[in-house]
Amino acid sequence: MISRKPLFAWVFERQRGLQVLLILLILAAILLRVFPLEMQKRIVNTAIGLRNLNALFLYCGLYLAAVVLAGLFKYLINLLQGYLGQRILLRMRTQLYDHILSLPLPFFRRTPPGMVIASLTSELSAIGEFMGGAIAVPIINVLTLLAFAAYMAYLNPLLALLSFSIYPIEIVIIPLLQKRFNRLNRDRIEVTRTMSNVIGEAISGMHEVQGNAGYQLENQKLGGSASRLFEIRLKMNNFKFLIKFTNNFFQSLGPFILFIVGGYLTIQGRFDLGALVAFLSAYEKLYDPWKELMDYYQGYQDSKVRYRQIMDAFDVAPEFQRLPEEDREPYLLDGRIDVEALSFMADGQIRILDQISLALQAGQQLALVGLSGSGKSTLAMVVGQLYHYRSGHVLIGGRELRDLTRVDVSHNMGFVAQYPFIFDGTILDNLLYACRALSSKGSGKQRPLPTREEIFQVLDRIAFADDILEIGLNTLLTPERHPRFAGQLIGVRDSFFQRWERELGGLVDFFDASRFQHHTSIAENIIFGHPNRKLYESQELTHNELFRRFLHQANLQTPLLALGKDLAVSTVDLLKGLEADAFFFKTSPISADEFDFYRELVDRLSHGARERLPRELEDALLGLALRFTPAVHKMASLSTGLEEQLLQARQDFMALITREDPDAITFYRPGEYLYAHSVLENVIFGHLRTDQAEVNERLRRVVVDLLEEVGLIDDVREIGLEFQVGSKGDRLSGGQKQKIGIARALLKNPHILILDEATASLDNASQARIQHLLNVELKGKHTLVAVVHRLEMVREYDLIAVMKAGRIVELGRYEELMARKGLFYELAHGSGESF
Amino acid sequence: MNSPMDRERASDSDPGGKSRCELEINLEILRKVSIFSAIPIDRLKLYAYLSKRLKYRAGEFVFRHGESGNLGYIIICGMAQVIREIQTHSIFLHEFKEGDFFGGFALFADAPRLFSVRAVTDLECLTIDRETFQKLIVQSPEVGVRMLEILVRRVIQMEEKLLQDQSVACLVR
Repeated sequence: MISRKPLFAWVFERQRGLQVLLILLILAAILLRVFPLEMQKRIVNTAIGLRNLNALFLYCGLYLAAVVLAGLFKYLINLLQGYLGQRILLRMRTQLYDHILSLPLPFFRRTPPGMVIASLTSELSAIGEFMGGAIAVPIINVLTLLAFAAYMAYLNPLLALLSFSIYPIEIVIIPLLQKRFNRLNRDRIEVTRTMSNVIGEAISGMHEVQGNAGYQLENQKLGGSASRLFEIRLKMNNFKFLIKFTNNFFQSLGPFILFIVGGYLTIQGRFDLGALVAFLSAYEKLYDPWKELMDYYQGYQDSKVRYRQIMDAFDVAPEFQRLPEEDREPYLLDGRIDVEALSFMADGQIRILDQISLALQAGQQLALVGLSGSGKSTLAMVVGQLYHYRSGHVLIGGRELRDLTRVDVSHNMGFVAQYPFIFDGTILDNLLYACRALSSKGSGKQRPLPTREEIFQVLDRIAFADDILEIGLNTLLTPERHPRFAGQLIGVRDSFFQRWERELGGLVDFFDASRFQHHTSIAENIIFGHPNRKLYESQELTHNELFRRFLHQANLQTPLLALGKDLAVSTVDLLKGLEADAFFFKTSPISADEFDFYRELVDRLSHGARERLPRELEDALLGLALRFTPAVHKMASLSTGLEEQLLQARQDFMALITREDPDAITFYRPGEYLYAHSVLENVIFGHLRTDQAEVNERLRRVVVDLLEEVGLIDDVREIGLEFQVGSKGDRLSGGQKQKIGIARALLKNPHILILDEATASLDNASQARIQHLLNVELKGKHTLVAVVHRLEMVREYDLIAVMKAGRIVELGRYEELMARKGLFYELAHGSGESF
Repeated sequence: MNSPMDRERASDSDPGGKSRCELEINLEILRKVSIFSAIPIDRLKLYAYLSKRLKYRAGEFVFRHGESGNLGYIIICGMAQVIREIQTHSIFLHEFKEGDFFGGFALFADAPRLFSVRAVTDLECLTIDRETFQKLIVQSPEVGVRMLEILVRRVIQMEEKLLQDQSVACLVR
């Protein structure tokens, strides 16, 4: 098992060739490091000493070549070392994750995600960096040390012996310090884990933290760990630098000895100067490998501690085998389920299931009912191979469940949890999760993914097709992804208009360039399109120079100003005294916030009617007129003359924009798809005249019928399937998530289906639909084990097991149990709420 | 769509092209309804401003017996019948025409409808919802008192009729 693997086993695994290459490179590099020393000696003694210019050039050239080559080799060694380290890290990480994924569910109940994440990311990375050099660094440095030592011994054995005498002292002291450091390091990892758990918990319970203003509490929790970490880090630094200090101190004693002894010997003439220079250089060069060895030692100790902490945390055996040991196809199990004397203990103490026995023929349906805590969910999970049992037997298709591999089970069984987990991605990704798992590598026999038709069929059977359609209808297409479909929808838009224009004209203001839209503001009536720039959005228009010039040229300035005045006067008159309540401003062109401003403006108008208004007040009135939506703002009306003038202005403005700034606006043209609007809006191609739900529903139905008729409905559904559900499916309702869970299992088409209160958050209609699917359509074909909360739904089951305190107290058909007048009868006649 | 409403809107336009605004038209309708006629005109303007028009096609139900609703209705044009549905058949009780006000209890409380109303012809109503109505009452309580008076009178009438029917039934038995 991976958690028992020694740290160094990773180094030797698989990449022996590269390791050998690395060592060879290192040997070469060491030779190239010693070589310059000899050159140095010869340059001083032979070339300079004997004034031999040729020798000087030769030795210097060789010196340079050796230095360059040594640098190059060092570079290659570093690259290779880094590569090896990352390779080891990659393997370690994927294998460990693989191991973690197969750990038993209870492990994850007591292990917070923060700890798993920290282990797999930062802690492991630090080990990876060390692992690259795990072999090379000690070899390179020990050899370098030996090489220099040998060279020094060759120059002068006595001096060499003296300068080496300090190392044994270091070797005694440093491990003592390191041991203290390791202990602190273990504490550090523990505290870091606690801290990430505190953070992780706060984030998943953020609604509770903010709802209760628990900021202080949470921060205190974090603060405890954080200050503990601070202390530990300080102490760790203390030992780390103490080690460095010791090392440096002894290192600098070396030259002292050399100068005093070497100097004496040279003065005495027993040692030549060139040799002393070379000796000093050699001694200096000892420093680097020694320091690297020290770092290596510290890195090794650190990694060892981290590695053990990580591996110990995950030192749990998976309960079930994933793949069969022998090479065989996954079993094809029939749907028989036999449970014999099954008992299940949680945490080894609490007996949750007690001597359960029951038998289910292939295709039979079993309902598990009982009060909460009676063990019904646990039984479903044991049968679904999510919990491991030790005593008793569960036979699936005649085979002992605990001996079956995960792959065997997932090929034959579908499990739907009460709160199915929804992964970030599209609805389709989530629907196909189980199927993709089966068709992926390493899951035995590969199965093809379901086709579009099969998917829609399943969605239809669980009343999810409408949701998907709805989502599809509300999707904004993009020109990059759906150019062809957008084109097809324009065709649908035409047929919709031709067929329904007369009948639905009362409900929709169609985007018809020749008609005035009463449910749209005047600004939008002129612009008549979707602005692609902020400058052309309604509220910006009064600052838009091009637009203002246009109003002037179209002779609209004066009538619009008059309309603005009219609106301001009548609105102020109507709503004065009501500013405090925003309710009265829902259908007013002036908002409650702006009311004071306009009231003053109106005062000014009534007092000095003759004087010309300053520009900003004129702009405000113009803005008001542009906001005016005839069907909503009842306090004013448009004269037919102005309406016609505005229609003409629309044409002229379109021409102007097409000429001057063609990308600024996407005009509502019958042949143009509006990418800023949904699929539904693009087909209707108009503003709805009311916000009444029934009316909108009627329109939707008409559009859906039409899409069905032209055969595009499945394409819309497909677009619905591409919907991004958000993290944990946040953008879906509880019912939708549950339907995805059910569809996910059904798409696998398993012989055995296990539902753990899988319909609890569905609306009544969907629940009835799924009930029908289970009890009628699937009856006799799929074995079903369902934990059922609502007793009115168990009538059709072949067998009902009533559970209490971990035992089955009654077992039989609905009528039998009712006739017996036992617990089931009592529950069915009790409040019913307790179920 | 060629509804009576559109015709009305067209006829509102005077030759000069200046048309009356919806608020004024609503105000006129409200003033003809007894229960609202007592409200001073500047207050009634708010009712006109906040009421909404709804259209029903012939045969469509405006609301059904037992439903809870929050709207009071005044018929702008068209006819509607009042029925009470009893398991297998329905009893025709009354007819509403232009200018009639109904469903008023819903403005005071969330109570189930006592009867169903169905459009006989295409129907257009001016409606006001409970939230709006109650906001307006708070704004001018004297209107509320006046309304209450009228409603109580209606209830008394109904009670009276009920008691009479009952005593007749008793006599027959």
